[in-house]
Amino acid sequence: MTTSVPVDVRDRESEDTGDTGPRDVGETLLEVDDLAVEFRGDDGVVRAVDGLGYRVVAGRTLALVGESGCGKSVSSLAVMGLLPPAARVTRGSARFRGTDLLALPPARHREHCGRHVAMVFQDALAALNPVHTVGYQLTEALRARTGASRRDARRRAVELLDLVKVPHAAQRVHEYPHQFSGGMRQRVMIASALALDPDVLIADEPTTALDVTVQAQVMQLLAEIQAERNMGLVLITHDLGVVAGVADDVTVMYAGRAVEQAPVRELYEAPAHPYTRALLRSVPRLAGGGTDADGRLPVVPGRPPAPGRVPSGCAFHPRCDLARDVCRTDVPPLAEAAPGRSSACHFSAEVLGGARG
Amino acid sequence: MAELTRPSPDAGTPGDVVLEVRDLAKSYPVRRGVVLKRTVGQVQAVDGVNLTLRRGRTLGLVGESGSGKSTLARVLVGIERPTRGAVLVDGQDVSTMSRAERKHLRRSVQMVFQDPYTSLNPRMSVAEIVGEPFRIHPDAVPAGGRRRAVAELLELVGLDPDHANRYPHQFSGGQRQRIGVARALAVKPRVLVCDEPVSALDVSVQGQVINLLEDLQDELGLSYLFIAHDLAVVRHIADEVAVMYLGRVVEQGVGPTVYEAASHPYTRALLSAVPVPDPGAAAASRPLLLEGDPPSPADPPSGCRFHTRCWLAHQIGAARANCADGDAGSVPERCRTQDPALLPPDAPSAPARPDEETGPAPEHVAACHFADLVPGGAPDTSSRTSTSTSTSMGADS
Ligand SMILES: Nc1ncnc2c1ncn2[C@@H]1O[C@H](COP(=O)(O)OP(=O)(O)OP(=O)(O)O)[C@@H](O)[C@H]1O
Ligand SMILES: Nc1ncnc2c1ncn2[C@@H]1O[C@H](COP(=O)(O)OP(=O)(O)OP(=O)(O)O)[C@@H](O)[C@H]1O
Ligand code: SF4
Ligand code: SF4
Ligand SMILES: [Mg+2]
Ligand SMILES: [Mg+2]
Repeated sequence: MTTSVPVDVRDRESEDTGDTGPRDVGETLLEVDDLAVEFRGDDGVVRAVDGLGYRVVAGRTLALVGESGCGKSVSSLAVMGLLPPAARVTRGSARFRGTDLLALPPARHREHCGRHVAMVFQDALAALNPVHTVGYQLTEALRARTGASRRDARRRAVELLDLVKVPHAAQRVHEYPHQFSGGMRQRVMIASALALDPDVLIADEPTTALDVTVQAQVMQLLAEIQAERNMGLVLITHDLGVVAGVADDVTVMYAGRAVEQAPVRELYEAPAHPYTRALLRSVPRLAGGGTDADGRLPVVPGRPPAPGRVPSGCAFHPRCDLARDVCRTDVPPLAEAAPGRSSACHFSAEVLGGARG
Repeated sequence: MAELTRPSPDAGTPGDVVLEVRDLAKSYPVRRGVVLKRTVGQVQAVDGVNLTLRRGRTLGLVGESGSGKSTLARVLVGIERPTRGAVLVDGQDVSTMSRAERKHLRRSVQMVFQDPYTSLNPRMSVAEIVGEPFRIHPDAVPAGGRRRAVAELLELVGLDPDHANRYPHQFSGGQRQRIGVARALAVKPRVLVCDEPVSALDVSVQGQVINLLEDLQDELGLSYLFIAHDLAVVRHIADEVAVMYLGRVVEQGVGPTVYEAASHPYTRALLSAVPVPDPGAAAASRPLLLEGDPPSPADPPSGCRFHTRCWLAHQIGAARANCADGDAGSVPERCRTQDPALLPPDAPSAPARPDEETGPAPEHVAACHFADLVPGGAPDTSSRTSTSTSTSMGADS
């Protein structure tokens, strides 16, 4: 049922920096299929992720987009083997170069991710310890993961800060987190995630807490590093505006599922799912004010459902301006809407046609 | 809408000045030492700002983190006292008033805070939160009418009055921000200072709060100071926009001028950093990246405070280096030594100060010695073709 978007390898001009490592452009690195995650809580068991699938390809960036609570972080933590104790994977696989990470014993799972799949966590800005210098924390993290000597780790820490363009890295390693701005702290977290040259980097809302100016800097940095190292990058966000410039492919999530998957240009040009269309309209635009005919900002009405209270049929139907009877009863499968793209809506063809027409 | 939530009848006509700040400054001491805290300097969080807020209108205030926006907001609503300058409500200087007068006037300027997750007390019910300002201003609504006032306020902001006994954690971020708006409206203010009211919300619901604010403005004749770092949001809601950098206003303009003909290099950089939700256009344009972080307001750069990060100054410097005329390859000396005044951008030499009593205030001002060299037109977001790199500099030497 869950299909990943088959992607063609787009030509990337002159990015042969001689430092591309063992990853082949276009190689599928990580393939998540039919992933389901449940939480045990006071109100019984609720499903936070329900049949999610996506594919991460070397040299490409996948944006995972959706509103708060749709399961972006939980699904990524599942892939990393870092779910909280109350949660468990009930279905599905996450294959890294063919090895199903979810079938590995927990210790091997984390060890495998340690070497190949790294994550910049959503609350990363709060993760640095205020009482130790940035250099000390980076060095200790490196030593714990690589067993390197303190001296080597310290040298590597400076290299990594250089890589993420922290100015005067050699001096700034001696400073404390409060002496770093939000953007600089985010660079430190990215540096730490890059320490072992991961094949796949998952960045969970890396710019949400930052200014637009710093957001642009961090996005550009991630795009550069991704291209330079031919890495697979997963960018998690709630803002379709932010990823337009850097993503190659997009997976839109709603209530724990993928509802639309497409290459970036096609998706923005003509969304096939009403939810994607509504999300796109809600992005504030500088040109022309970006308003409705009546001068109001377009919104997605209402709010997303809490897990455990997902509406029948199409989970989006209470908020959908196209909803009809069938939407209230039948769950729309994620199906091909056009070559290379899929959408989970009974009326994908109509939405797609409307956008084009 | 019922009378309990209406602002006082003396509210005046649209366009009247309701709030004004003149040469406002706020600095904080920088202290070192653990036991004997010595003052080793001053952070000039706000340094000489002039703003005018009119009835029924919205003034947008944008700038990077640390530029002094929240400090200005706190001074405006009276949470903090200015180090220098004046706040005038209805033309009256707040600092020269008696305590009682001041308290009464303070009622008319209320604040909506940035973070809907931390600005509401989790142990108070929604009714208690919304009714809290009545404790500070008991004369706003008679005691007997307060329950009904709270219900009305909840309805006004689009929440179910039956949920008045629920607690903040039972609401989504967007709904919590509505609670914050209801609380700010409780004492019938005429001015709302909204400090990044949507920054913590999902993009998909930001519009719900903004549309609500606009409806309330139409209905109640409110004036807003709307603080944000996102120029796209500000363009939508504000009639006028002021751009702050390191405690100063560096550009200000009415209507679309600032977005379409920004004259300060900093504004241009802010505009170009607004994400373009169009992969084609986004790929074709590179944002005018600002290098690094803003300098510390405890030790602002000499001359133009923006000169350490100014792309225009660097381009001018580079162009002059090519013509080998003294200022070789560096930032022009004027930028390093002379503080530029806020002037109409097309007449950088005519000193028509915006705060001067004579004549109408200019519609567009910028504080840059080379404002006339900032390439014309907007960093067009629909059909942008690399506006950033191909500016024709050096025309000036
Ligand atoms: N520890 C937990 N216990 C119970 N439910 C949880 C827990 N953590 C997350 N959830 C639920 O799982 C769902 C998915 O959460 P997740 O953090 O993945 O959302 P998200 O898409 O990352 O949202 P955001 O944009 O706010 O980060 C949420 O609805 C949340 O309520
Ligand atoms: N109470 C204080 N004591 C010392 N310095 C302060 C205090 N409050 C603010 N500052 C400093 O004043 C400057 C302006 O801060 P302010 O919070 O007004 O900025 P802002 O524009 O609101 O930023 P943000 O977008 O991050 O909210 C900052 O450098 C800040 O560190
Ligand atoms: S299936 Fe129906 S309710 Fe769901 S997105 Fe499509 S039209 Fe809307
Ligand atoms: S005065 Fe000089 S440094 Fe300042 S903004 Fe203008 S060009 Fe840049
Ligand atoms: Mg998350
Ligand atoms: Mg602030």
